[in-house]
Amino acid sequence: MENRHTSLADTLERVLDKGVVIVGDIAVSVVDIELLTLRVRLFVASAQTAREMGMDWWTDDPFFTPKAVDRTAEMKALTQQNAELGDRLAALERALGERS
Amino acid sequence: MSLYAYAITRDRPIELDGPWLIRHRGLALVVADVDLDRFTGLEFDDPAEDSPLAVLAREHDTVVRAVFRHEPVLPLRFGTVLESADAALRLLAARHEEALVRLDQLAGRQEWGVRLRAAAPEPPQLDGLSGTAYLMARRRNLTAADDARRDATAVHEELTRRAAESTRRDPAGDVLLEAAYLVDVPLEDDFHASVHRLTSGLSVEITGPWPPYSFTRMELADA
Repeated sequence: MENRHTSLADTLERVLDKGVVIVGDIAVSVVDIELLTLRVRLFVASAQTAREMGMDWWTDDPFFTPKAVDRTAEMKALTQQNAELGDRLAALERALGERS
Repeated sequence: MSLYAYAITRDRPIELDGPWLIRHRGLALVVADVDLDRFTGLEFDDPAEDSPLAVLAREHDTVVRAVFRHEPVLPLRFGTVLESADAALRLLAARHEEALVRLDQLAGRQEWGVRLRAAAPEPPQLDGLSGTAYLMARRRNLTAADDARRDATAVHEELTRRAAESTRRDPAGDVLLEAAYLVDVPLEDDFHASVHRLTSGLSVEITGPWPPYSFTRMELADA
């Protein structure tokens, strides 16, 4: 019954979200359990995010996400603009070098 | 002084390091003095590994487990504080019968968590793929996802048959099955063998044994 090896996410999920709930005026809850539970859910979700990272290939898949096409186009435009600026800078530097 | 309440158990002699029992007609509430300042602002705390919230949650779990080593428990929700020993007695009296019956049902059983995850699908190779081939590959992936969900439900039904009780959460993300099973201790080897047999080749995480956190859906009111 050691709990050292259980992940924090699993412990929080059970301790904060499960168990007997006491209602009525004899008991006061010292923390806003609902808010806390919500935050813990977010934490548990983020603890799983690493695993899910491999699952988001479809966000860049034009079949599911038409916007992905725009993003590719945008990327291309930016890359092209970057190359053009690089060329212009090189030309300017060359001109400056010739002058001095 | 306020009392932090951890769990309800049977009134039996238990040695605990710190917490003590408040007894009432065969039932006992496991309590300890609490410094309420430790709980202030917790809802804004980021629950990282060494945060105050994590420390308190682990303390809670440690006490519940210490009792659970000896006796069946009904764990209380984290953050339950009573104003006095009298309040504790009223609480134990309020749903006395129901608590005793539930403790009897939970005796000799432990909770196990099982989580099944979807395997990451093959990333599609778009280069040089015809439209038809692309759509067929897409359909294979979608069908595989449907099959995986159906398989997860079959696994859950099969494991439920080997457990005294079970409960399943709505799966989210790549999780296909998020379930807890209350298993008789003598049948645990059987249960685990079934888990391994049914999930071979799948991505499975097993946690436990836990005190029956997921099997104490009870509300105690000062009725």
